[in-house]
Amino acid sequence: MGRLILEHTLQGHKGRIWGVAWHPKGNSFASCGEDKAIRIWSLSGNTWTTKTILSDGHKRTIREVRWSPCGEYLASASFDATTAIWSKHECTATLEGHENEVKSVSWSRSGGLLATCSRDKSVWIWEVAGDDEFECAAVLNAHSQDVKRVVWHPTKEILASASYDNTIKMYAESALDSDWDCTATLSSHTSTVWSIDFDADGERLVSCSDDATLKIWRAYHPGNEAGIATPDKTTVWKCVCTLSGLHTRAIYDVSWCKLTGLIASACGDDAIRIFKESSDSKRDAPSFELLTSEESAHEQDVNAVEWNPVNVGQLISCSDDGTIKIWKLQE
Amino acid sequence: MSRFSGALQLTDLDDFITPSQECIKPVTIDKTKSKTGSKITVQADGYYEESESGKQKLQKVEITLQDCLACSGCITSAEGVLITQQSQEELLKVLRENERLKASGDSDKVRTIVFTIAVQPLISLAHRFELGVEEAARHLSGYLRQLGADYVLSTKIADDLALLECRQEFVERYRDNADLSMLSSSCPGWVCYAEKTHGNFILPHIATTRSPQQIMGVLVKQRLAEKLGVSGSRIYHVTVMPCYDKKLEASREDFYSEVNSSRDVDCVITSIEVEQMLQTEEQTLQQFAPSDMDWPWTDQPPEAMVWAHESTMSGGYAEHIYKYAARELFNEETPNELQFKALRNRDFSEISLEKDGKIVLKFAIANGFRNIQNLMQKLKRGKGPGYHFVEVMACPSGCINGGAQVRPTTGQHVRELTQQLEELYKQLPRSNPDNAHTKHIYTDFLDGTQTDKSQSLLHTSYHAVEKLNTALNIKW
Amino acid sequence: MLSYIKRKLSESDSGNSNSNSNSTPAAELVRKTSQMSLDNGAIVYGEDALLHELGYRSATDLQETIYDLLRTIRDPEKPCTLEDLNVIYEDGIFVMQPTRSNVSVVRIEFNPTVPHCSLATLIGLCIRVKVERGLPHNIKLDIYIKKGAHQTEEEINKQINDKERIAAAMENPNLRELVENCIKDEE
Repeated sequence: MGRLILEHTLQGHKGRIWGVAWHPKGNSFASCGEDKAIRIWSLSGNTWTTKTILSDGHKRTIREVRWSPCGEYLASASFDATTAIWSKHECTATLEGHENEVKSVSWSRSGGLLATCSRDKSVWIWEVAGDDEFECAAVLNAHSQDVKRVVWHPTKEILASASYDNTIKMYAESALDSDWDCTATLSSHTSTVWSIDFDADGERLVSCSDDATLKIWRAYHPGNEAGIATPDKTTVWKCVCTLSGLHTRAIYDVSWCKLTGLIASACGDDAIRIFKESSDSKRDAPSFELLTSEESAHEQDVNAVEWNPVNVGQLISCSDDGTIKIWKLQE
Repeated sequence: MSRFSGALQLTDLDDFITPSQECIKPVTIDKTKSKTGSKITVQADGYYEESESGKQKLQKVEITLQDCLACSGCITSAEGVLITQQSQEELLKVLRENERLKASGDSDKVRTIVFTIAVQPLISLAHRFELGVEEAARHLSGYLRQLGADYVLSTKIADDLALLECRQEFVERYRDNADLSMLSSSCPGWVCYAEKTHGNFILPHIATTRSPQQIMGVLVKQRLAEKLGVSGSRIYHVTVMPCYDKKLEASREDFYSEVNSSRDVDCVITSIEVEQMLQTEEQTLQQFAPSDMDWPWTDQPPEAMVWAHESTMSGGYAEHIYKYAARELFNEETPNELQFKALRNRDFSEISLEKDGKIVLKFAIANGFRNIQNLMQKLKRGKGPGYHFVEVMACPSGCINGGAQVRPTTGQHVRELTQQLEELYKQLPRSNPDNAHTKHIYTDFLDGTQTDKSQSLLHTSYHAVEKLNTALNIKW
Repeated sequence: MLSYIKRKLSESDSGNSNSNSNSTPAAELVRKTSQMSLDNGAIVYGEDALLHELGYRSATDLQETIYDLLRTIRDPEKPCTLEDLNVIYEDGIFVMQPTRSNVSVVRIEFNPTVPHCSLATLIGLCIRVKVERGLPHNIKLDIYIKKGAHQTEEEINKQINDKERIAAAMENPNLRELVENCIKDEE
């Protein structure tokens, strides 16, 4: 068994906090919420303090913030239907086009592409065309409902999106005409898929849902050893594991640690849970065990969790209760 | 999968809901005064209002496509509405009814059935049935006549007129204010999107020239009607088009003629629907005896019925207007094949004319919804190159890849299919709009060029759709 | 003191699939008190440490407190309250088993006036905002349309329980104004 040790409880935002994102260096992070402000925090001595507050960029709730892989830029997705790009504390570009709330934003591994998604059911891919120039490279209408989250593959230019229509979809650029197409639909959840995250090499994906389950999906490429059929020579994603009965309400976020392989979940029952792959886990039918469950991690719904990309075992979370917490996992 | 263009698939524009479920159009209900409130009960066959005087069945509210177009809610509840008003079933019903009237000798009510076929569906169907394009046109003409068509027309005359009007409009606008971009208007998906989401910011930029479909509408319901000595309302005009969006265009209030008390185009069917109609009958196009298309416009028909307009496959606006403007405004001759330079993606390309070291004409072609977005960004920020004219089409690759063209066979990529269609298009004779036919229409029907009549019949106007702000109607 | 109010006795726990939660320490500590079977609408109430801690005498007390908040909500269209229209009713409020983190869970069921009622989502929104604001403590709310009472019941249930959609809706000035008007207390 492991244990989550609470290192810091941070206050600053007014009201609900929707998102937190570690800087790629792992020594600072950004947070956002219903107060329409982005706070950038860093450690000075032994305390985390707000170094910068970015306000005036959005007119409504900021749902998610994400750092570019180089750590130079920050993107923020807002209910005001725009996505803002920040560089050195200045808003350098505002991406318009979505009809209503932008729910999520994600930078590709190279930092050359940006994806956004919205309640308008569409997923947009933007090409970084210059310092503050972004060109729309694709508008994807594959989902039939509100799209909750977009996440890029950790190594390839493959995009995944999770939706209120209960599915997850994958997209790739067609070699034939350089248009983006939906290449896979992952169906198994019985309600809204709130969030998704790839594992370190991108061969697996974890998803969390309003149906109170976590699901693990594996990529089966054409010619795979397991003999899984791949129609049209495209990679197929299969649900290989479902973790149910542990979460008691909607699960809002999930983070798959690229360093340790541990999975953390943020749940509407106020808990943060950590899962570890069993030692006897099988490739095509993996098993995961609950390492620890911090039942009252926050006083209200936990909205986001993210493993520190550098500092092993450090986890950040934020909640409707208006606090950000930094945890350390003791195994 | 929707057959509307991407521009209309964005939120609230294409929702696949039935009008009854989520339609927010306020309806007026005739109320009889009653002291107490009334109660509504539900029975299997409808809703009933209970009052002192007993039960009364509530009237079902009919939502028409026009209602949808005028509303800022979902455009398209329309999909459901379209199915009832502009479907192949509706078409076949009208044709059957007409045959019945003919048979019963009720000649007062018999309508003249006119089909107009655009070039892109002909190419799509030619490819599908492995025929030459002109050959496919003749077989299709045979099929439609067998269904009951009295006239089968190509869009050539309207394609020509649209280019003549649009280039004239451009030159006038340029002379008036060279800084104002003019955007093409023949794609109804783009026009509808502009009206619903960018309103008064963008509408002044859009050319007022009608699309070829709607010019055909005028020619058929007025010119042809006049010639046949029948009222426009007695003609049932069907067009065969490459996309669903054209159905929305035909339903616009602007194209309803009070004089005729009928729409200029009564029904639009698409390539894919023609394919379905043939499939239902288990027929191929070849099985229908070929028949010539009609040419009721001048005494001497042109040497072919199916024509290309310039080399891009959406009517040739950017190319033709560029060449004309270069000659007309700057006395510059341009090569027959213009070299547009592709920008970041092949669906956004531009060309410019320099004179004395200064760019005097800058044109672009923007196809597909993503490039509509990039164009809007450029226009909004006022940054980057100011275009004098942009040909805007909502479908990637333009009309040849219209949303309701016959789908690729399994395993074939859309791009591959589009390339094959492009090859077929290139083989078509190239139309020069300055010809005896258009001249005849201007002098004999429109009182000449740039007259009040040509202005009123070949141009239209746009209307920003006001966002409904009644909270009761907001979808969240 | 045990105060039981029995409408109909039922030991079944079919409303909750996570029956193993009974064995967790938090649940043991609190002792699950109220159960509900969705099938027969039976409710059993018993002692509840959590409720006492929050200042309620019993589950019925919480139920009544919530009902008092809801009954004065005005219909968005008609000059009536939800109580007048029988859209909400006291036995549509169910006090459920609290979370393992020991937060009250309440399920509220409402009955739209007509099965195609276009305002059902709006009513759901009003109910949620009113209760969340009106109670001085945290609560997990699940709001549902009475089974079979609406043509698009599932769609509406999903929407009115999606906290993100609700948060965004309440940032729309027009919607917000409408909701505020419906839920403000009578002068």
